[in-house]
Parts: sequence; structure tokens; C-alpha cells
Amino acid sequence: MKKYIPIAIIAFFFFSCSSKEEILQQQYAVEGMALYKTHCENCHQADGSGLRDLYPSINKSNISPEALTCLMRNGKKGNGFMPANAKLQGLDLAELVTYMRDKWGGNKQIYPIDSVQIALKNCN
Amino acid sequence: MSCSQDKILPFLGPKTVSASGDTVYHQIPAFNFLNQDSVIISEKDMAGKVYVADFFFTTCPTICPKMKTQMLRIYERYKERDDVRLLSHSIDPDFDTPSVLKDYAARLHVTSPKWNLLTGDKAKIYRLGQKSYLVSAQEDPAEAGGFVHSGAFILVDKNRHVRGIYDGTVEAEVNHLLEDMENLLKEL
Repeated sequence: MKKYIPIAIIAFFFFSCSSKEEILQQQYAVEGMALYKTHCENCHQADGSGLRDLYPSINKSNISPEALTCLMRNGKKGNGFMPANAKLQGLDLAELVTYMRDKWGGNKQIYPIDSVQIALKNCN
Repeated sequence: MSCSQDKILPFLGPKTVSASGDTVYHQIPAFNFLNQDSVIISEKDMAGKVYVADFFFTTCPTICPKMKTQMLRIYERYKERDDVRLLSHSIDPDFDTPSVLKDYAARLHVTSPKWNLLTGDKAKIYRLGQKSYLVSAQEDPAEAGGFVHSGAFILVDKNRHVRGIYDGTVEAEVNHLLEDMENLLKEL
């Protein structure tokens, strides 16, 4: 029983300091970080700084979450080519946007799946 | 007495024995491809140079960016040395024309003759990769981007013998390459 006490203490502080919404945001951001590592980091680097003029930096971007959602799913053709990624589903995109705007925008709001779906319907 | 002992790197690839009984090491055969400046680059340009070869394509979404990040380290380190060259062969030469490669090189801020981005006959590039540089390079529609290739960096000595193969996507492996490069540069 004794060994559970530290966990209980940590859990107490964790839950007492975080609302349900904050916990969800943190979950999204953590999942988003893993997805970023798999799908984005090769080119844009872990810190989002990009690689010279070959891959643009994305850590100072003011792109809208809607445009970012469309860009990740559909890629970009022509100059500044970026491959599309049809494998990224609603939740993946929500987590990625949540992670990136938390990390580089300080935005602690979750980007919900509903917003992803609406954004995807309205991509150019 | 010197504390640092020079390491003799192995000769990789199939060896044969000549009529006179000498060991003949595997050697990169004659080649010629166009670089990003539409200049023909052949084995003659590599005479007396230690070089690093790899295989990539400009629209590769997977391992190439990591390889290029690491290749840049080698480029920057040996920028001022004339006896070091880098050869990046496109495995999508139909798309990667010299002008596409020129744009890629410009955006990466690198120039020939130090770093040559090569294009040419696809079958010749694949054959050179598989038979001579001992790495895989071929088309595969199932793969992201449509091509499968290894992320290997191949270290070649001044006489076109393969002396080391490293994972070009891993920083620690490229550190080994840089150490081995120093040893090779001391060889005649």
C-alpha cells in the first residue's frame, strides 16, 4: 500500500491544479508531439527552425489553424512543394495543431476535432 | 612516439586475385552524370579526392532531409579542402533535372564542385548504387514518395575504393565517418 502513496500525492496535485480541459489539452499536445516527430520533424526539425531555405521554419508562423490543417492534409504543390498526408485523420490533425500552437504560440487551447472537420470541408 | 594510432580502414566489397597473385580491391567503375550546373562529372573528377556518396531525391518526404542535414555537416567541415568531394545521386532523375537540382542546391546554400547533385540515366544510377556502392536504390510505388533507398553514406578513398558505409540519418554514425575521413585523407 505504501508504494502508492507518492503516486497518490502526485495525482492529487496534478488533478487539483488542472481542470479537465487542461488535462485534455495536455494529452492532445503530448500526442501531437509524437505525431510531429513522425511526420514533420525530418524536414522542419525538432525546434521548428527548418533547414536553410530548403524547408521553411514554422516556429514563427502566423498561419491560421484552418490553413495549417489543410496544409498538413493536402500538402502544397509547385514551388515550396510539401507532400500531402492522407493518413492524418481528424484526431491526428487536432493534436498536431494543438501541439504546434502551444509550443510556438503559447496557446493553451485545445484545437477540437470538430474544427478540423469544418476546416477540411473548406480547404481550397 | 605518437599517442594517436592511425586506423587502417577496411576495403569493402568483393575482392579478386589477379593473374600475378595480387589482391584486387573492389573499385567504383567509370561513370558520368550531370551535376546541378549541367557539368559532366566523371570518375576522373574524383581522382585524388576522398568523397562521400549518397542516394536521394528532391521530393523525398522521409529520410532525405535527415541525410541532407548530416551531409551539410560534412560540407561545412571540409568547405576549404580541395581533396574532399560530395556526390549525391538522384534516384528520381526524370524529375530531378539539373535545373531542379540547381534550385535545391541554392536553397541548401551549397555549390559545386564541392557538393555535386547528380542526375542521369536512371538504370545506370540504380546499377551503380547496387553493384558499386553496395546500397539499395530502386523504384517502389508502395513507398512514400515512390522510391526506396538506403540512407547510407558511402566513404570512398582517393583510388575509388569503398572504405566505409554509415547510416546518414544518424548523427553518431556521421561522427564516425568524420573520424574515418581524417584517416583516409592521410593516405596517398
